[in-house]
Amino acid sequence: MPSERAIDRNLVSCHLCQKLSDASLHTCPRCGEDLHLRKSNSVQRTLALLITASVLYIPANLLPIMVTDQFGTATNSTILGGVVLLIDMGSIPIAAIIFIASVMVPLGKLLALFYLCYLASSAKPIGARQSTLMYRITELIGKWSMVDVFVVAILVALVHLTGLLVILPGAAAVAFAGVVMVTIVAAESFDPRIIWDHQESLNE
Amino acid sequence: MSDLKPDIKKGRGFNPIWIVPIVAVVVGIYMVIHTKMNEGPQITISFDTAESLEAGKTKIRFRDVDIGMVEDVTLTDSMSGIIVTAKMTKNAEPLLREDTRFWVVRARVGAGSVTGLGTLLSGAYIQLDPGVGKTEERRFVGLEEPPLTPADAPGVRLVLHSEHAGSLNAGDVIVYNGFKVGRIEGITFDSQKKEVLYDAFIDAPYDDLVTTSTRFWNTSGITVTASASGVEVQTSSMETILLGGVAFGTIPGIPPGDKVSSGASFKLNRSYSELAQDPFRYRSYFVVEFSQSLRGLKSGAPVEYRGIQIGRVDRIMVQELVRSGLAGGGSAIPVLIYLEPGRLGAGDTRELVQQMSSNVENGVAQGLRASLQTGNLITGQLYVSFDFYDDVEPVAPQEFDGYTVLPTIPTGLGQLEKQVGDLLDKVNALPLDSLLVSADSSLQTLDGTLASLTGTLDSLQTILDEESTQLMPDEINKTLSEIRQAVSALAPDSESGQSLNEAILELNRTLRNLEQFTRTLSAKPNSLIFSSDVPADTIPEASAQ
Repeated sequence: MPSERAIDRNLVSCHLCQKLSDASLHTCPRCGEDLHLRKSNSVQRTLALLITASVLYIPANLLPIMVTDQFGTATNSTILGGVVLLIDMGSIPIAAIIFIASVMVPLGKLLALFYLCYLASSAKPIGARQSTLMYRITELIGKWSMVDVFVVAILVALVHLTGLLVILPGAAAVAFAGVVMVTIVAAESFDPRIIWDHQESLNE
Repeated sequence: MSDLKPDIKKGRGFNPIWIVPIVAVVVGIYMVIHTKMNEGPQITISFDTAESLEAGKTKIRFRDVDIGMVEDVTLTDSMSGIIVTAKMTKNAEPLLREDTRFWVVRARVGAGSVTGLGTLLSGAYIQLDPGVGKTEERRFVGLEEPPLTPADAPGVRLVLHSEHAGSLNAGDVIVYNGFKVGRIEGITFDSQKKEVLYDAFIDAPYDDLVTTSTRFWNTSGITVTASASGVEVQTSSMETILLGGVAFGTIPGIPPGDKVSSGASFKLNRSYSELAQDPFRYRSYFVVEFSQSLRGLKSGAPVEYRGIQIGRVDRIMVQELVRSGLAGGGSAIPVLIYLEPGRLGAGDTRELVQQMSSNVENGVAQGLRASLQTGNLITGQLYVSFDFYDDVEPVAPQEFDGYTVLPTIPTGLGQLEKQVGDLLDKVNALPLDSLLVSADSSLQTLDGTLASLTGTLDSLQTILDEESTQLMPDEINKTLSEIRQAVSALAPDSESGQSLNEAILELNRTLRNLEQFTRTLSAKPNSLIFSSDVPADTIPEASAQ
């Protein structure tokens, strides 16, 4: 049983100040922002950014994220290599944090957004609650995806004993930061209302 | 209401947002291609052990620049070594030649130096020494010890061979007049020749000092010589005292030879004094066979030609003689000698050795013979002497054990025995019997002569015994007294004597007058006709005025 939407009453919500205005207006009478019924090209835009993030995710994992220069000998560590190293050293909690923040969170976010895009355009009907849950997870884990870049940034700033031990960010740090930022933008450009619009149109 | 439906366009037109993933993919593909293009070659190096080598950490360096990284360290199939797989950078490709060398730089503490201390903290790395070969190579065998000299270092590589390892080690210095000009790079042992081989390197520009007449000797330690002139301590540099070293130089009297190229081989003498005794490289060997006692003939005994040393005795070839089966019949004992043209100051070259050999062989035809001479009467040391002899029989050239045999003549005690024997033979051969017979007949003749002499003497006695002969002295006495009387009649106090005296005085006077006359006659020859000059009258002085 489809619920009644604002769009059905010819009303449009402002993206900025959330004021409901008549759909015939082009700008918000309160804040002057352009009014759209839905975010324009939401699925396509999100999909493009997700592909970009996926491409960036490859070098982020293959290239060294951190270069440890110990007594003149540079050691490159990738994200997964660092996790394995931490497990070998017995620091399993830290390894878990790094693994979750650096591998599981960005990967999960990417997959979740891909799934949402799929829901917004697939011909298969799906429960509204499931869609909402998926979106919530995306919102939740996206907040933590910068942890890895943050760890590297702190280490670089803290450990800089010239000649003895120097930690430098590797090429993967840039790629990883790119992954995180692009997925944030992708999540932002996704309009979750399209899911329900689409599902209801399927149910009709 | 239907016109208020959201306008959801699907797949229509080109949305500029797609530029973002396209750029990402293009950049990604470009990076992959760029990396692949710049990827250097992969090489393998085999070592004995993987000590301090770690995959992903150990670098390959050249002039302290990283040019590669060890990717993998595995055991060889036979488990007898390890193989290091390394990824080199693109610009390192020209360095990978067939004679490129690799070795692991780790901390090493040697007697002469401590190296690689930096690797204690930074970890070991693999050092590359670029080769100069033409062929490129990807599989290498690593060195276990670092080479002491880079492959392209200017200088000359030599091989020194010695029968004793002495106190030399790799890294020991080579000095020329006390100045360090090179080093020993490695030591190997040739089990076939039973010789120690040293790889030596002389740095440029000192490689010019090494010529074919250069001699090498061990200068390790201190040489102390005590003699009548005092105690002499001979040392080289402090380094060579502590660690050992090799010195080289030329022997006085040997002309400088030609410059040598890498790979030349030299003998390493144990000491300078040993070298001074035996400084020559080229020699020719001969065999001399003696049928007399060789007691006192030692290895190293001099071989002389008319008192000038031209070589030495190498050894007495007893073993060869026994082996050849000639020992039974009292055959002569062969002695191996060598002649060195360098001793004569002519130069120490192979050509001169050949010339000397042919000279010696030609000389044999002209009477050149070897003989054993006593060098020291007390100790009985012998030496071999060569000289030309007129009264020798020609000999056919022969060989023993591959050496030319030079003919000999017996001398010394052996010759003395022979001479005494010859003398006795001559005495034996004298015709004593006939000599005695003739002497006997001579004596008989002499007897007859003596008998007739006795008869003559007897008849003489008879004459003397006659009375007239006995009276003869009285007659003589009487005659003598008569003579005396006659003489006494002429005495001055007798009458006849006085008149004789007067006559003599008269004669004297007459003679004096005659003398005066002859004087006047000689002064004025016309005085016989004219009277002598009358002096002019004296004119008084007053009348003159």
